[in-house]
Amino acid sequence: MAHPVRRVSTPTLARVFVRSLFLQAAWNPRGMQNLGFADAITPALRELYPEPAECAKAVARHLEFFNCHPYLAAAILGGAVHLEERVAGGQSPPEVVSSFKRALGPPFAALGDGFFWLALRPAAALLAAATEPFLGLGCIFVFLALYNAVHLPARVWLFATGYARGEGVVDAVRRAHLASGTALLKACGAALAGALAARGVLTAGFPDRPFHALLIASTMVLAWAILPRLGPTRAVYGGLLLGLALGARFV
Amino acid sequence: MLPLPAGGAPQLFFLAAVAALIGGLSAIERKGAFQLMLSRPIVLAPILGWGMGDAQGGLLLGIPLELLFLGGVNLGGSLPDNESLLAAAMTAAVIPAGLAARTGVDAPLAAVGLALLLPLAFFGRRLERASEARNTQLMEEALERAAGGDPDAARVNLRGLLLPFGAAAGICAVCVLVSPVLAFVRLKCRPAELSALEGAWHAVWAVAAACAVRAIRDPRAPALAAICAATVIAITLAIRGLS
Repeated sequence: MAHPVRRVSTPTLARVFVRSLFLQAAWNPRGMQNLGFADAITPALRELYPEPAECAKAVARHLEFFNCHPYLAAAILGGAVHLEERVAGGQSPPEVVSSFKRALGPPFAALGDGFFWLALRPAAALLAAATEPFLGLGCIFVFLALYNAVHLPARVWLFATGYARGEGVVDAVRRAHLASGTALLKACGAALAGALAARGVLTAGFPDRPFHALLIASTMVLAWAILPRLGPTRAVYGGLLLGLALGARFV
Repeated sequence: MLPLPAGGAPQLFFLAAVAALIGGLSAIERKGAFQLMLSRPIVLAPILGWGMGDAQGGLLLGIPLELLFLGGVNLGGSLPDNESLLAAAMTAAVIPAGLAARTGVDAPLAAVGLALLLPLAFFGRRLERASEARNTQLMEEALERAAGGDPDAARVNLRGLLLPFGAAAGICAVCVLVSPVLAFVRLKCRPAELSALEGAWHAVWAVAAACAVRAIRDPRAPALAAICAATVIAITLAIRGLS
């Protein structure tokens, strides 16, 4: 029998969001982010299911496998709260929430990984490293400000949109142009990496040490070429050995 | 007698406590909580350096480490090398060593520190796997409690932060306590050895720059980076030539 839709209060929604910041606290290979997700949604479930046994059943449902990008998961969490309101009101069966989580987890993970991990973070870090000669320690704030000015509002927006629109969050995320932003950030990142490489060459070459500059430039090209085979650890040891061998001539 | 920072052994223990706290917090911030990027080497090393009295020295270590591990991404179940543990441990070892040797953080000290501590990045990954195995037990506990009718069954989630915190804190404290050995090695280096180590640090920068270009997973990235590098070098040389 359908009851009037129960609503989760705003303070409880805020608590759910804050707990979502600990989504991966107990990341595990079997359930991945399941424990974090269940923990985050618990305040909302407590409000929707005042009976402890019923609430525990709902928590158990959320202990199923779940994996997504930790930021994009906020949208799914908001959407899951929205759907739980309908389930608690008897308008939808509980399976709807599971289907929603299963359907959105992988595509949102891919989107978040591509944008945040592979584009925004490298670009912000490279910009900070490139500005270090001019800003000194201030470059740290460049990195944190640039990254978090995008990341934190995105997380809040995703959670709020997920809660407000439920399944409609897919359309909202599609219109956020994450894919085009990813390409632009990667291009900026590549240019900044080039600028940093130039800085390394120039630092080694000045004053009047063109041979050293050439040596460092050659090492960069060599390292770039062999990195996929060697991996960073071996490449660093290789670099250290090469530098040691040639370094005595750097005086 | 091993060289110690000003303040002697009590100061060393104080620095160990500072490094343990900041290193431990960075370990949980890296994946388990917030993920505001405070645990990235470019941020963590200067913050830890500031806590121990040399923020600039921390920055000198943090930037190449950031570039070296820029491409490491935690996708699904795959784990990258643990750059935060390496950055925290290296800062915890090198900064007190620089203070004790009265040289500050310089290229030779940084090169020795990196050569000795680089395996920690790999070890950190193993540690993370162990932590994940422990988290599976927490999940089983939560399932059991939920089946028993406990609505707060999932609160065990936060206990997953304890192991990473404890392990990183312990490693950082040990690194501070062994830093006088590093200071001793630094002071014993002769000019030729110092020059060789300086060359090694230049080479690390070169490898770091190559890693940074590789971190941009885009087929156009190498060409774009090469064009930009050539432009920057040409402009710098032109400006120097004019002046």
